[in-house]
Amino acid sequence: MTETVDISVDFAGLKLANPVFVASGTCGYADELADFTDLNQLGGFITKSITLKPRKGNATPRIVETDSGMLNAIGLANIGLDAFIQEKLSILEKLTCAVFVSVAGETIDDYVAVVQRLATEQAIAGFELNISCPNVAKGGISFGTEPAQVTEITSAVKKAAGEKVLMVKLSPCVTDISVIARAAVEGGADALSLINTFTAMVIDIETRKPVLANRTGGLSGPAIKPVAVYLVNKVYNEVTPLLASGKRQGGGIPILGIGGIRTASDAIEFIIAGASAIAVGTANFIEPGCAVKIIEGIKKYCVRKEIKSIKELIGSLEQGQIDSP
Amino acid sequence: MTNEKPNRGVFDAVVIANKQIRQRFYRLGLEFSGDGAAAFAKAKPGQFAELDLSCIALPAIEGIAEDLRDAAGRKILLRRPFSFCDVSSQKERTRVDILYCVVGPATLRMTTLSVGNSVSVIGPLGNGFRVPEGKKTALLVIGGMGAGPLIHLAKVLTTNYPDIEVIVFAGAKTKWELPFEKPLDEISQQVGFSLHEFAKYGVESLVATDDGSAGYEGLITDCFSKWLGQRSISAKDTIIYSCGPEEMLARMARIAEERGIDCQVSMERQMACGIGVCQSCAVECKVEGSNETIYKLCCEDGPVFDSRKVAFKL
Repeated sequence: MTETVDISVDFAGLKLANPVFVASGTCGYADELADFTDLNQLGGFITKSITLKPRKGNATPRIVETDSGMLNAIGLANIGLDAFIQEKLSILEKLTCAVFVSVAGETIDDYVAVVQRLATEQAIAGFELNISCPNVAKGGISFGTEPAQVTEITSAVKKAAGEKVLMVKLSPCVTDISVIARAAVEGGADALSLINTFTAMVIDIETRKPVLANRTGGLSGPAIKPVAVYLVNKVYNEVTPLLASGKRQGGGIPILGIGGIRTASDAIEFIIAGASAIAVGTANFIEPGCAVKIIEGIKKYCVRKEIKSIKELIGSLEQGQIDSP
Repeated sequence: MTNEKPNRGVFDAVVIANKQIRQRFYRLGLEFSGDGAAAFAKAKPGQFAELDLSCIALPAIEGIAEDLRDAAGRKILLRRPFSFCDVSSQKERTRVDILYCVVGPATLRMTTLSVGNSVSVIGPLGNGFRVPEGKKTALLVIGGMGAGPLIHLAKVLTTNYPDIEVIVFAGAKTKWELPFEKPLDEISQQVGFSLHEFAKYGVESLVATDDGSAGYEGLITDCFSKWLGQRSISAKDTIIYSCGPEEMLARMARIAEERGIDCQVSMERQMACGIGVCQSCAVECKVEGSNETIYKLCCEDGPVFDSRKVAFKL
């Protein structure tokens, strides 16, 4: 019965079997999850962020659990571009879902250098520009909060990306996320992913020190979901129409909705809010097969609601009644 | 896909025992069948599993110690890692025992698990203790809750390596913080069979408490050093296995290095995933022939490390 439902989506020119991704930093380079889940059932896969040179990462503690969430400050620990090409590309080549490589750096040249080297790789469908990592001293979030810088870095990387899809990941730690989203679109972004984590802190009251060695970390998990749904809807309403001139549904710049997704109903909320696809993040740590379960749950919802194609659901939020005083 | 049984995975286990040992110490018995039984039958001492306790009920408020009541209501998210104090297989089933101490909202929930309940378990994970060729003596040094994997190791050593002499050193702040079942009043300062958990494998033990409430008065590492000084053991034939607080492991590493004895330590870190994805559980390690250090992952590279490789900060 669920087989008759079409949950395939178009995402910036990519035909995806379904709208479910796994988010950067929560699924490694794919080999780590091989024993636990079948990644080929997903719509898309986003690698842990790669930098030009390897990064050792922050001291520990790097994580702390909070109410329905967690803070992380890994510090973009990663093997660097060369080792990524030598050791990980062959693993990613075997994936049949759309593979995005998340790219981070300290300078625009860093980002461009990584993307240039990978732009011709068959295994890669696109790049996710991580300009919103809150856990590194240089680069990261500092790029993602200034509209002019967002446009500059996006357009520089877009040139290097060639035919590949360029997705820009947005930080929620800004006054108006739509301003940043427009800046990315202006720079040539093909898609937007939102949201990255919130900069946050937990204090040990016995020692009066922050729990994390990095002092602050990024808050993720179910705790941030309602904010993420709101911001996806805001960007969908305020940024998408600019491009699609009147035609909203399925048109305009596609949004990858991220933030505390753990179940199919969480995923569906994001899609109704305006996301063309969604990514499961923190929940992968708890249930490596979570994303695959969500795909089944989305199908069941569509059957129950007699939705023939998931595309009908994207941005289908009803306008609620606002009583004027 | 081959028909080969997986070495690890996500499995549902059934609770077959959950017994309070003393005060805040409990022992949970989990039973696996099918692929889970096959995977866990091969679990080695020092390996661990991640338990999902997020949907387990809290005890009634009067059953929650006052110092834990504030934390008790917090909705937990992540799985919790536990090592094993025993693994036994019979036919198509594998029983895994976990020694745990109630310290926060997750372990508090764990106490309400009853026989027949189902628990989602990821494992077995990480690398356990290794037994190098030619060792004649194994010295197991425990700090508090570090007892779990070393109880398991004592069983495996006495069963599979009958020629190796095993002696246990167990320490805690007070006798109330020793995670052992039997009354501890008879514990002496001498090596003997006072700890039932080891005596049942024919293994002698020596106890130390910081306050002297049982056994040797002082740190277990001092007690161990003193014992070592009174013996003429061959360093090359001996191996130390240790699990406990990091400060203690750092001291053990130093003692082992001074004496030229091989030493394996089981490290502990906050973990989100336990399978090498989240990169949370970094352990700073030395790089041979350099002053540089690198981060290894406690979950995938450990939790058992050669003590010479860890860059301890004392």
